[in-house]
This record gives sequence, C-alpha cells and structure tokens, in this order.
Amino acid sequence: MRKKTRRNIFLFFIAIIVIAFIIGYRVWNEPHKNIKNATGTKTTAAALYSDLTKDSATMKSKFINKIVIVSGEVKQASRNQTGQQIILLKTNVEGGSVNCTMEENINNITPGEKIIIKGICSGYIGGDLDMGLPGDVFLTRCYRST
Amino acid sequence: MKKLILILALFTFMNIPANAQVYYTKNGNISFFSKTVLENIDAENNQVISVLNTETGALQFSLLNNAFHFPKAKMEADFNEDYMESDKFPRSTFKGKITNLSEVNFNKDGSYPVNVNGDLTIHGVTKSISAPGSITIKNGNVSAASSFKVLVNDYRIKIPSIVSNKIGESIEIKVACNYQKK
Repeated sequence: MRKKTRRNIFLFFIAIIVIAFIIGYRVWNEPHKNIKNATGTKTTAAALYSDLTKDSATMKSKFINKIVIVSGEVKQASRNQTGQQIILLKTNVEGGSVNCTMEENINNITPGEKIIIKGICSGYIGGDLDMGLPGDVFLTRCYRST
Repeated sequence: MKKLILILALFTFMNIPANAQVYYTKNGNISFFSKTVLENIDAENNQVISVLNTETGALQFSLLNNAFHFPKAKMEADFNEDYMESDKFPRSTFKGKITNLSEVNFNKDGSYPVNVNGDLTIHGVTKSISAPGSITIKNGNVSAASSFKVLVNDYRIKIPSIVSNKIGESIEIKVACNYQKK
C-alpha cells in the first residue's frame, strides 16, 4: 500500500511536469494574431494622423497596438528593403502619411486610388521639423479591407 | 528689374544645393539578433525614420519599439511588456555624426566605409556609442548600412534569471537604409 502511494505521488508529479511543459511549449509557440480576419476600430487616414499627432493619452490608448481599419487615398506604393509592400495614405499634412507595411501585397494599386487598409497601429514618429520633414503614423501587418 | 531677376536667380541657385543635402527614409530597416543556447532571437523593424545631412554628416534614426516584428508572438509580447517596457519608453533613437565625412564622395558611385559617433537612446537610457558602417552611392541613390553590438545591461533592460539563458548579454544590431532626396 505504501509502495503504491509513493508510485502514485511520483506519477502525479510526472503528470504535472508534462502538463506544464505542454502548456509552456504551446504558449511559447502561439501564433501571431490573425489580422486578416480580425475586427478593428474604423477611422480615416486624416483623422488617425490628426489624433495621434496631438499626443493625447486618450487617443494613444484608443489606437496604439490596436487593430485599426483606415480608409484613405493612396499617395504612393513602393517596396521596402525586404520586399514588403509599403502603401502611404494621404493626410491633411503635406509630407505626412499613414505609412502601411503590408503583410499581404495588393496588386495593381495606383496613387489616387481610394482604399481601406487594416493593420496594427504602432503609433506616430515625428520627423525633423528643422529640415521640414513631417513624421508618419505607422501601421504594420496590413491587409486590404472592405 | 534686371537686378530683381538676378537676385531671384541667385536665391534659387543657392536653395538647390541646400535642399539637395538632406536625404531621408521613413521605411528604413533595423534588425537585431541574439544567439543563445536554447533559441536564437531575432526581430526586424521596417519603419525606421532616418535623416542624413550630407553636408554636415548629421545622421539620425528614430523608431517605435512596438514595430519590431518577431517570429513568435510570445517573444514579441515579452520584448514589449517585460524588457523594453514599450508603453513607458515607446521610442529608440540615435543622433550622431559621420566622423570621416570628407572620405565620402556623394557624387561618385562607390561604397565608402564610415565611422559614426553619437547618442543611442534605448529604454530611456542614453549612451554615447561609436559604430562602423558604410555609405553606398549607386546611380545617385544613397544607402547606409551598419552592424554593431550593444550590451543589454548598459540600457537597464532587466532580464529575469529564469529566461536569462534565452537572451544573450549582447545584442547585434543591423541597420540598412535606402534614402531619398528631400
């Protein structure tokens, strides 16, 4: 009886270790959030840019690290060094854009086209005012939305 | 009238080189890599704003820490929440100068080794650093690259002992920027 109890305790601890390992492994290897099928806060490129350049805590908590669905007009489409598509959306500030790094490229996109883009909002980086360079609002992991 | 035209022409002429001296990118690339016993950790940020003044050699970089993308979601969450405290310290910046600017000919194609000195701010801590790099001119396009190491402890980034074997003491940082003329 005593031997059986010791064996059960041993098996119990082994089970705990195995479960902890499985949970740890699953958490460590959890995939990134699926942006393509996620919902988000709707706004326009001009409004998002204006809201985040005000440096308001309320606006930051509303948008930063959140999924946003931004409608606007394409200013420029290009590629970055790693081949990802970059789409700049016009704002009311000359030289300031909503700068979207795409996770899924959009074919045949042209400047002036109206578009809705969904992605994670990283925030606003100020440019260099001394050199007359306004900053951008940045979105990562972007997809075309409807 | 002739004098007025001459003055206007002179101003226009003077303004062209002044504007042509500033190059910028808003989609520069900064990545880092840390080799550890258990797993290599690497991340990439393709939303780096950088401004280069080719007359003075002034060079600056600014990025949002939460725009680093990791292969694993948990790595990304730990980086932002536990190590970089991105809510509290959202940006990392560098402001410095190319110290051997005279060795770079921005009018001639080539790859020019440069040294950059300046202040690197990470996690709210500013340290003076010196890093080697290169400026490449190709068909009038300017690009810059650099690779250097920083010590995690220098920037008061606390790594819990339970995961300290997952993260190296030094992190290799790589910079790659393709500039456009302002």
